[in-house]
Amino acid sequence: MIQLSYLDYIAVEGKSFFHRLSAKFKIIGMIFILFAIVAVRNLPGLFFLYLFLLCLYFMARIPIRIFPLTLYPLIFAFLFIFLSGFQLFFILLIFLKVLCGSTGVVLLLATTPYPSIFSVLGRVLPSSFVMALFLTYRSVFILLSVLEDTQHALYLRGGVKWRHPWRSLTNISNAFGHLIIKGIDASEKMYESMLLRGFKGEIHYRRE
Amino acid sequence: MSHIHLPDGILPVWLWASGFVVVILIWMILLRIMKKEELTRRLPLLGMMAAVMVLGASVEIVPIAYHVNLTVMSGILLGPSLIFLATFIVNVILALFGHGGITVIGLNTLMFSIEGALGYFLFHLFWRLLRSVSLAGFLATFLALTTSTFSMIGVVSLGTSHYEELIHQEERRGIIGFEFGREKEGHQKEGVPENVVNLKRFIAIILPLGFIGWVLEGVSTALIARYLHHLRPDLLRLDKEGR
Repeated sequence: MIQLSYLDYIAVEGKSFFHRLSAKFKIIGMIFILFAIVAVRNLPGLFFLYLFLLCLYFMARIPIRIFPLTLYPLIFAFLFIFLSGFQLFFILLIFLKVLCGSTGVVLLLATTPYPSIFSVLGRVLPSSFVMALFLTYRSVFILLSVLEDTQHALYLRGGVKWRHPWRSLTNISNAFGHLIIKGIDASEKMYESMLLRGFKGEIHYRRE
Repeated sequence: MSHIHLPDGILPVWLWASGFVVVILIWMILLRIMKKEELTRRLPLLGMMAAVMVLGASVEIVPIAYHVNLTVMSGILLGPSLIFLATFIVNVILALFGHGGITVIGLNTLMFSIEGALGYFLFHLFWRLLRSVSLAGFLATFLALTTSTFSMIGVVSLGTSHYEELIHQEERRGIIGFEFGREKEGHQKEGVPENVVNLKRFIAIILPLGFIGWVLEGVSTALIARYLHHLRPDLLRLDKEGR
């Protein structure tokens, strides 16, 4: 999740043709990809879809450092091969569906700034939902900066060492407790500053 | 572990679509019940706790594919209605990182919400009985995670006939299949083993791994609750029940 800030950075700073496409167009494209993932049930079809997404990924000049994010969901997909009686077709089907979904999503996020996505969603979804999404997104960045400071404190208190599981667990839990308290304080401050800026229950996005 | 890390396209359409319908209905009911001012006032807190859950989910224990959810902790702090809204947001964001498919957002929200709401009620129940924040936190988390893991297994088992159809798809050589209803029976060809979906093996893998996760998350929730109780007891709202 630390990659989130980097992902946001390349979405804003990227200069490829894909970055310049409108968010609406890319979200519609993502819906089509999802439809294909749900509907296509043969390996060649999914394989070609994955190849197509990979081509788009490299054409969009997304740094290779982000690529492992597309492979991350395979960790969980691995559990579901036990469901199939180790049928190769089913395993490949699951893995390709996972890869198509995650590559499509990373492609969308790495080329579209979050506020643009929220702006499109705000046209079709309830404002409270989109506002909660936006505040969560903002809060993740606030917490990431708190987490950076907390990591230093954690290190000074012994950090996380597998040889001392109890101490490590206590340190991690205290760090999360600290994160929660800091987060709640920050959320109160955020609400007060929003009120001062004229917040009346709705956030307005620039339509661009 | 207690929620579905299935990719898109594996669960039958009727199942994930029902998840979305239920979630939208609950969302609409909650928005009607809750006062707009109250919701607006608590939205920053909701966003912050959702962000804590998102960060928690990014701490992966790779060998057992487990990560802490902090759903019970968030449920204790937000209460049973706000936790539902928070888990929906969390699942949308996690799905945007390929952490579970986009189509299973509805079902995952229901799993998370069961965990959070049950955790809230159990925490208060055990606090009244045991008068120990750590014990109440551990037991509430352990039981809430157990319940939500079993509901996840229940949801996965509902799609058994669909998985079998997917496995036998190879023989049918179809390019596109899209069915809204329950899958038809009797599609297996001769020579292809029936009941290839082995739910027992799946459960046998999930439960021991889940157990490790329930204990780990139970202990961490207990420690976080203890930490909060020392520094900001007002957040746990245990005053009315006596400290």
